[in-house]
Amino acid sequence: MYFLADNIISPLGNTTELNYQAVAAGRSALRHYPAADAAVPGACPAGAFPEESVSLEPYVAARFSAGQLHDIEINGLTRFEALAVQSARQAIDQAGIDVSAPNVVFILSTTKANIDSLRTGEESDEAFIPSAAAEHIAKYLGFTTKPLVVCNACISGVAAIITAKRLLDAGFFDQAVVCGADVLGRFFLSGFQSLKALSPDECRPFDIERIGLNLGEAAATIVFSTSRSRFRVEDGAIRNDAFHISSPSKNGEGAYLALQAIHEATFHDDLSFINAHGTATMFNDQMEAVAISRAGLSDVPVNGLKGFFGHTMGAAGILETIMSKEALLHGQILATRGFEETGTSVTLNLANVNRAASKKRFIKMISGFGGGNAAVLVHSENRDCISSAKIDHNECAINTHHHIILDSRSVKLDQEPIACHECGRNLLVELYKKYISDYPKFYKMDPLCRLGLVASDLLLQAVSDIPQAVILFNHSSSSQADRSFWATVSDPDESFPSPAHFVYTLPNIVTGEIAMRHGIHGETSFYILPDRDEGFINKIVNSICREKDFVNALVGWIDYPDDEHYLADLRFIRKA
Amino acid sequence: MEELIKEIKKNIIEVLNLEDLTPEDIENDAPLFGEGLGLDSIDALELIVMMEKEYGIKLKNPAEGKEIFKSINVMAQYISDHRTK
Repeated sequence: MYFLADNIISPLGNTTELNYQAVAAGRSALRHYPAADAAVPGACPAGAFPEESVSLEPYVAARFSAGQLHDIEINGLTRFEALAVQSARQAIDQAGIDVSAPNVVFILSTTKANIDSLRTGEESDEAFIPSAAAEHIAKYLGFTTKPLVVCNACISGVAAIITAKRLLDAGFFDQAVVCGADVLGRFFLSGFQSLKALSPDECRPFDIERIGLNLGEAAATIVFSTSRSRFRVEDGAIRNDAFHISSPSKNGEGAYLALQAIHEATFHDDLSFINAHGTATMFNDQMEAVAISRAGLSDVPVNGLKGFFGHTMGAAGILETIMSKEALLHGQILATRGFEETGTSVTLNLANVNRAASKKRFIKMISGFGGGNAAVLVHSENRDCISSAKIDHNECAINTHHHIILDSRSVKLDQEPIACHECGRNLLVELYKKYISDYPKFYKMDPLCRLGLVASDLLLQAVSDIPQAVILFNHSSSSQADRSFWATVSDPDESFPSPAHFVYTLPNIVTGEIAMRHGIHGETSFYILPDRDEGFINKIVNSICREKDFVNALVGWIDYPDDEHYLADLRFIRKA
Repeated sequence: MEELIKEIKKNIIEVLNLEDLTPEDIENDAPLFGEGLGLDSIDALELIVMMEKEYGIKLKNPAEGKEIFKSINVMAQYISDHRTK
């Protein structure tokens, strides 16, 4: 799969070129923002930011100015949707492709999409669900195929690139528009503040004095194609820590496995740099250093870009891949702004100034909540030695070995009913007590994770081996957890954001919980679709099964819109 | 102090969803983290929220929690010394 065109819209500029020039010149988008204090009218400049984006504590972030927000606006679209459209449209125009063709797919990478519309939304209003936003964006841009949302927390951007590569390599589509975006509002700010993850100053990736991350808003888009061009995504992998839903593993297991899966010794001397996640939290950067070292890559130059853009969440993996591709093109390794003195147990090859480089490959790595880690390998190929695009149209044969259907009234394993009496939310508690009972963490989980834990446990009790991967789909994202967290934030006089509720507002946490419970270190992926389109789901599952080391997986639909209408329809599948 | 200890245990069970436990199951001197109740880093952050919401105690630095959440006894002492509501 090849890069055809790309775009970045950040506070540093609205094209890839402007963003690259700014960062190469050392300019950062990070600024200090005061707290919105009810006792001090005007503490936050009135009208400068949408009302929902004021915060109760001062913070540092990379935000769009009022003027930039005005330029982004599109009538009839939310701030998030307009931002994604502006970025995608520039990349599509530059690529000159017809997005109304049936061989073009739109993939949206986001963590929370329109989440701040929850603030004003009615109970039944689904505008805050990512698939609703994806449909608005895709329709506005003129796509006729169904949009796919990759919702894998912080790794979403790189996971979306990997998803696109698989769908194109399998011949299901010829072009993919991969767009990542998130905007900053009260939901995010209060959530990250409750996790005590934000630095009160500009972040310092990998530095000994790092104390946390800065959030950023941006959109970034890459148009990928099967037609040859200079930059190719050679390989990609997603692996889980199976350690904790919000803390990275101490030995960097998932990140190490992802690096190992895409890195072959023959590339080593040709590796220009590794662009790390480098959030500047104590644990993330330490974990990445360990993973890079375990993968035998400590001599390779490493950089991190959060000191320029902040953590742009759903956009991060795409934005940082584009910046790294530009750096490869310009023969540079961009500086790690904020880094001064090594603050990890393993010394990495870092610098806070730009360095010259002449090699042909880079690795982009990323990690996030739910224990997910992803990495991609990008290659700048000489025109005369461009390898042929490997399109293999043969479908991969998959066998279903066991199957569970659990809804709010009944449960069937391999078509045999399992005895139960309760219904709704109580049914899950009944099943847990009767058939599982040794995992009290169940009670801490949000409804989606409870459903995932019970359904996967019952299914895997019938299976003799542990699945290698967990690939789940739904429509409602984590709407129950979103509402529960919002309830802890929404009252301005009684705002006590709950960190436990916030973590569960990432729907991919259910894949992480299942991975932790069963010690699954392979891929964990979560996708959101406008509806349960089995044809599309089969294409995605099929494209994953074609991976060279794929053996088996837990896959299926898991949706929890409310206590009466939930459904888990999961299968244990094997490559035939 | 007896009353406060009982109340803290009830609050902990509620905010951390320790469904299988009753206040009597939590020993006053046993460590809350690690070996004890098997609580994790998110639980610690949730307890920080509880301290503010229930007792008006604001902990700026999550590291302070390490000392304060050592055991129910330590927590109760800290709360009775610092509570503002």
